[in-house]
Amino acid sequence: MSEQVLEYQLSPNFPKVQIISETIGNVIGFIVLVVLFWLDNYFEWPTWAFWILFGLLVFNIVGTIWGFIEPKYLYRSWRYQIDKEFLQLSYGVLKKEWTTIPMSKIQSVSTSQGPIMRKYQIRSIKVETMGSSHVIPGLEEQIASEWRAQIAELAKLKEVDE
Amino acid sequence: MRYHPLTCVFRIYQLIRNSLFVGIFLFIIKRNSDFWLFEYGRFVFVGAILLRLIYIIVSWFVETYEWKERAFHIKKGIFVKHSSTIPFSRIQNVTRHTTLFHKIFGLTSITFETAMDGEDDAITFHVVSKQYAAFLLDLVKVEESQVPEVEEKKETEPQVEEVKESVNRVITNRNIHFEPSKRDLFKASFTSLSFLAIIPIVTALYDLFGPLIPDSEQYEGVFYQIMNNRWVIFLLSIIAVVIAVIIGILRTFSRYGRYRISSNDTHIYIDRGLLAETHFAIEKQKIQGLEIEQTLMKRIFGLAEVKLISSASPQSEEHTVSINSLYPFLPLKRAYQLIEELLPDYHVSESMNRLTKVSMYIKLIKPSWIWIIATLGLIYFKPAIFQIDAAWWLLSLTLLVIVIVNRMLDYLHTKYLISDDQLQWWHGGLTSRMFITKRKRVVEMSYSQSMLQKFFDLVSISTMNRSTPTRIETIDDVPLDFAKTFQDWYLHRQKDTTYQQNG
Repeated sequence: MSEQVLEYQLSPNFPKVQIISETIGNVIGFIVLVVLFWLDNYFEWPTWAFWILFGLLVFNIVGTIWGFIEPKYLYRSWRYQIDKEFLQLSYGVLKKEWTTIPMSKIQSVSTSQGPIMRKYQIRSIKVETMGSSHVIPGLEEQIASEWRAQIAELAKLKEVDE
Repeated sequence: MRYHPLTCVFRIYQLIRNSLFVGIFLFIIKRNSDFWLFEYGRFVFVGAILLRLIYIIVSWFVETYEWKERAFHIKKGIFVKHSSTIPFSRIQNVTRHTTLFHKIFGLTSITFETAMDGEDDAITFHVVSKQYAAFLLDLVKVEESQVPEVEEKKETEPQVEEVKESVNRVITNRNIHFEPSKRDLFKASFTSLSFLAIIPIVTALYDLFGPLIPDSEQYEGVFYQIMNNRWVIFLLSIIAVVIAVIIGILRTFSRYGRYRISSNDTHIYIDRGLLAETHFAIEKQKIQGLEIEQTLMKRIFGLAEVKLISSASPQSEEHTVSINSLYPFLPLKRAYQLIEELLPDYHVSESMNRLTKVSMYIKLIKPSWIWIIATLGLIYFKPAIFQIDAAWWLLSLTLLVIVIVNRMLDYLHTKYLISDDQLQWWHGGLTSRMFITKRKRVVEMSYSQSMLQKFFDLVSISTMNRSTPTRIETIDDVPLDFAKTFQDWYLHRQKDTTYQQNG
């Protein structure tokens, strides 16, 4: 079996949405850190508290830079496939993951859309099984709804010995 | 129907047993203390006991059960009424637990567990007569195999004789697979090192009562005398070890003496216990997989523990030994045999694929976060243990050696095999585990590759099985090719499964 490439990709709008939402998150992170640094200064917390805050700051800076680079590569790495029997996902930039879920084990499927996603007309699909949940993060609205209906239909089949 | 009236007594007995220590502490040991915590603690304690007593008695009137249409219907709750339904078909395993309390009254307790989610996924009869327990067992079983419906809600008395007969018949139908011999038990009591249990007990006792000893100065003289006399110390330690060994053996005998693993076509039965008896039954079909676990000690003695992975949620209360364990001290060969005897679908293979050298390199190169963090902490604090200044880097070095040994062992232990419809793998360092399951029981699979693994063309494979909590098994650093074969194998899982339309 050669390197198998799954059939479908995310919406091309996905990286933009991802960059915007990650930036918002990181900005909030910076604001919280600034407040904490001020509190540290004002109340004269012990030295180790400063070092922990400093560590968090470094993390946040690295995270912010990564937040601009990652989405493009994440988009390129994301592939999924839905057929009669399985839902297959593969994604990951630094660490690659391949997941195979039998349709008969899927218990619920839902789509959701945040404000930024709405602006770029994409939706995410969330699939839940007995013990795990998986998200396909950015699909065109139309496609997302279609897949949701189809997964729900395919997931109706249950194995006998449950 | 209400539960057996002695349920109240049983619960009060449990209450007394659980609160005895706190009671003694508050009212006897600290009776003269006017520290606010103890002062008010006494009131809180008495109040809590009284409330609990009232609750026990009232709840007996409120809690009811009945069965109709092949399901138990339970009602409970004093203020908030709560009712739930447990269909017989969902019952995964049955545990009968006879504690000393039950023995005195000639009674027993019985629990039916299901794989449903939520709080009310099991029904426990804390106190029932033995006949009634047998009747309930039969009720559930008969219904389950869909033999012509018995008349429900009939008076139980006339059926008892019949039930007894059928229970006896069931027992004679069973194949006995394992009963430990005296020798096994002696071996077990040493492997489990249970005699070392005395050390934490003694230290705990000392921690607890040390500060309570009123005036330690008067003992000091005696202590120094003992210290000065090496022979006394030597003798005392020998006596302590002998006592510890005896306690260990007694403990092992009372837990694992009279142990019996038996089975028939559909169920596996585990009966154990000398004083408090437990009878456990699980339907074979409900077993999701098996695990063999070998700790370092057990490996030295060539023993292993076999565990059943089932989707029923474990009932932790009261069970001193986990119920999903077949027997913790089986010789490895016997364990393999036992699995095949109990579950003829399973074939344990001893020749499996091993990892290549490349996997060993990656296991050694991989950064150990535990070691890095521990070392950073040690560098920062530089603690001097036993007045040795160099202790911090010695500790760090020891930890590093342990990490490396663990990884080398993991490399040596890792073995894997997939056959027609079954997967089997060993992994783990100091404690190693074998995991074996059927393709149709794996509810999800995934494999992943980190940057380092990509460099060596290796991956980690994970499988998921139904259990509570969900059982995730991972095997690290196997060749990419195997992962692909594995996925291909998994994609053909419909060969083993049959479907039904749902909803």
